[in-house]
Amino acid sequence: MKNPDRPWTAFYGPDVRKDIGEPAYRNLPDMIRSVAETYGAARAFTCCLPNGMNGTLRFDQLDDMSDALAVYLREVAGLSAGDRVAVQMPNSLSFPIAAFGILKAGCVLVNVNPLYTAEEMAKQFEDAEPQALIIVDMFADKIPAATRGHPVPNVIVTRVAEFFPAMPKGIVGLVQKYWDRSVKPIEVPHIRLPDALDAGRSHIAKDRIEVHGYHQTVTTDDIAVLQYTGGTTGVPKGAMLTHGNLVLNTEQAIELFGSDLEKGREVILTALPLYHIFAFTVNFLAFYRLGARNILIPNPRPLSNLKRAVENYRITWMSGVNTLFNGLSNELWFLDTPPRHMKFAGAGGMALQSSVAARWREITGTEVMQGYGLTETAPVVTFEPPGKSREGTIGIPVPSTEVACFGEDGTPLKRGETGEIGVRGPQVMKGYWKKPDETANVMNGAWFLTGDIGFMDDDGYVRIVDRKKDLVCVSGFNVYPNEVEDVLAAHPAVREAAVIGVPDASTGEAVKAFIVSNDRSLDADAVRAYCKEHLTGYKVPKKVEFREDLPKSNVGKTLRKDLRAEDQARTDAG
Amino acid sequence: MVGAFEQALLALMIFVIMLGMGASLTPRDFYLALKRPQGLAIGLISQYGFMPFIGFLLITFLPLTQALAIGVLIMACMPGGTTSNIFTYFSKGNLALSVLMTVTSTVFGVVLIPVILVLYAAALDLQIPRENIIATLILLLVPVAIGMILRRLNANVGAVTEFMGSMLALFFIAFIALSWIPRNWQFLMTTTPDTYVAAIGLGLFGITIGYGFARLLQLHPRNARTVALETGIQNGPLAIAIIAFTFAGDEAQSYMAVPALYSLFIVITSTLVTLIFRRANTAAEQKLPDGLL
Repeated sequence: MKNPDRPWTAFYGPDVRKDIGEPAYRNLPDMIRSVAETYGAARAFTCCLPNGMNGTLRFDQLDDMSDALAVYLREVAGLSAGDRVAVQMPNSLSFPIAAFGILKAGCVLVNVNPLYTAEEMAKQFEDAEPQALIIVDMFADKIPAATRGHPVPNVIVTRVAEFFPAMPKGIVGLVQKYWDRSVKPIEVPHIRLPDALDAGRSHIAKDRIEVHGYHQTVTTDDIAVLQYTGGTTGVPKGAMLTHGNLVLNTEQAIELFGSDLEKGREVILTALPLYHIFAFTVNFLAFYRLGARNILIPNPRPLSNLKRAVENYRITWMSGVNTLFNGLSNELWFLDTPPRHMKFAGAGGMALQSSVAARWREITGTEVMQGYGLTETAPVVTFEPPGKSREGTIGIPVPSTEVACFGEDGTPLKRGETGEIGVRGPQVMKGYWKKPDETANVMNGAWFLTGDIGFMDDDGYVRIVDRKKDLVCVSGFNVYPNEVEDVLAAHPAVREAAVIGVPDASTGEAVKAFIVSNDRSLDADAVRAYCKEHLTGYKVPKKVEFREDLPKSNVGKTLRKDLRAEDQARTDAG
Repeated sequence: MVGAFEQALLALMIFVIMLGMGASLTPRDFYLALKRPQGLAIGLISQYGFMPFIGFLLITFLPLTQALAIGVLIMACMPGGTTSNIFTYFSKGNLALSVLMTVTSTVFGVVLIPVILVLYAAALDLQIPRENIIATLILLLVPVAIGMILRRLNANVGAVTEFMGSMLALFFIAFIALSWIPRNWQFLMTTTPDTYVAAIGLGLFGITIGYGFARLLQLHPRNARTVALETGIQNGPLAIAIIAFTFAGDEAQSYMAVPALYSLFIVITSTLVTLIFRRANTAAEQKLPDGLL
């Protein structure tokens, strides 16, 4: 029976709930604790390095360690409920400890991209005002520059091989220090994560602290995570994701897969970084909740870094972006011996190309299911239902979620009409941190407006046709043209600069810069090198074009759309 | 002269090096090698076709003593060394291919090395202790197998063993430099330049011909670099071990001259080649856009 309001529910499997209802837990710490009690001695997280060296945490160990960190944050570092704590590290065993510890302390987790430059970190810290920072040693040299003017009082330092057995940990440490020289001296007062845990444990023993007390008053409506996304003006905006958003979205994300997901039996490969909302909610929280074993890859580049993980573990699930699936399909070792126990793979972050999906199916014999979501929706909004995917669509809304399209004037459109995609459901954020105006801009009553233009067919399958904003989506990461333009404009030889996104075979879209310069000696390589000093890699323009002038509107605003049209016309012609 | 202590140390080192080689492997690597027989064939041809032939030419055209000539021949017939993996890594070659070539040449070496040695020795009229060499080669497969089992039982133990094995291969060079050179200083000063030509030429010609051969077959440059290094870099420690366990006293010293000098010079040659390779075009590598991390 088709429900006229929610026709897509007809495509849910027989064991999929159409409505999830009230969250099963009041807050994330309750969920974390309950899962740890169920799976106790099973292996929860394994961090696997390119040479096969690895470390593992069991559910019960992780529970104890995150308790200790929570106590450290509250009793030793002196934080209060609601204080922000930034986490900046690649995938490693320290990540779950840090994230769970912060949440159990009743604090707010702020995910930070570990590859951010000091300038980018500074912008985010200025906005979030974290009281503590948990950072990996490799990037700790950026702290002084990043915290100038707005100090972060507590710094906890960890390392990639933390909580590995002694021998591999020692070897990795020595190699990083003396061979790669990737670990530089840390110039700010700090404590090591294991020492912080020891301090927390001794407090628990001495003062008989009940960690439960820190979060028993935390409700579904309280903020759990500040997840940053660059603002259209280049100023970062922190999406306030509540405990309710995340508890529910972990359920929504996996509900469509029904009984294909077996509790306590799955092994998921996490090559995407956990600070990104997709991996954070789906790989990290949802699969933790399922009692899965999570194989964490600190650095998936080059892709041969994944070889040992695929060889050594029975991977049943993985998530990725188009780039990752495409890349793996071109690796000989992967072609020869693809994982044999895979059930499905989930794709998100950027459009999955149908050629890539077809090749993946051919190699692994399994489907890649595409999902769609945004930072502001915690993130999952739609997913392709298993076995019923339709080419060119991003699937159907997940349970308890409504999707509709809106006209320019904010009125809802009829099904089939093209407009701005809006989302209503329990996963929609509480708003942007300290930015009520920005929040008002994207909310239409209870509907969150995504900035993507598309339409929904009669069955409820959603297609995206265009993006409303000028933002560029590089391999699942949003790049805001203004931010890149600001950096370019600061270069002494650059008179004017404009940035657009252009189609790119491997990353979906790539950043292209148009530059007006007086200096003939300035070349593309110099521009890119300059950008690399100020911007994370994915924001650096892949293409640079020098021009005499830029197209402008009557009021002198650079017309990015004209540049896009021009670029498109040239691509088509040539 | 090689003392009992040094002999034991040598045995221990080669044991750990081979253990590390085994720990870098899984049975599926063999399956893959067999699935792509042309790759296997290229490896075996360059390892057991070109290298012994280069050795044969060097012996034929250079006026070497009988002892030095045997050293050259044994060195030329050895399988690939684990140090080739390190150089392949730094020259942005195909590490998986390098590991595989090293191991398959070791495994097939048990059969091929004695056959080739006997053939060339007969052609050159040299006396070689065949049985001893076969026994040593078979014995060496034991640590390789143990390494593979270790890896299977525990990935961490496997990775540490692998790491130690390749590190030890480098320490071995230092061991040679410290223990063999001082005692043979007199010999090194008085021997003819031909000894050096043979010791250096074996590696240098091996790398050059390996690269030319791979390019001729239109292999990807990354794989061609790997085949080149794999061909030129032999298992020096193995040659030295075989000689140390086969010949006694002063006799061993002169048989060992070329393998020892080869082991030292191949590090220099390979370093230079690696520097050249690194500069060579790596554009064809699969590049990942920055967004992924």
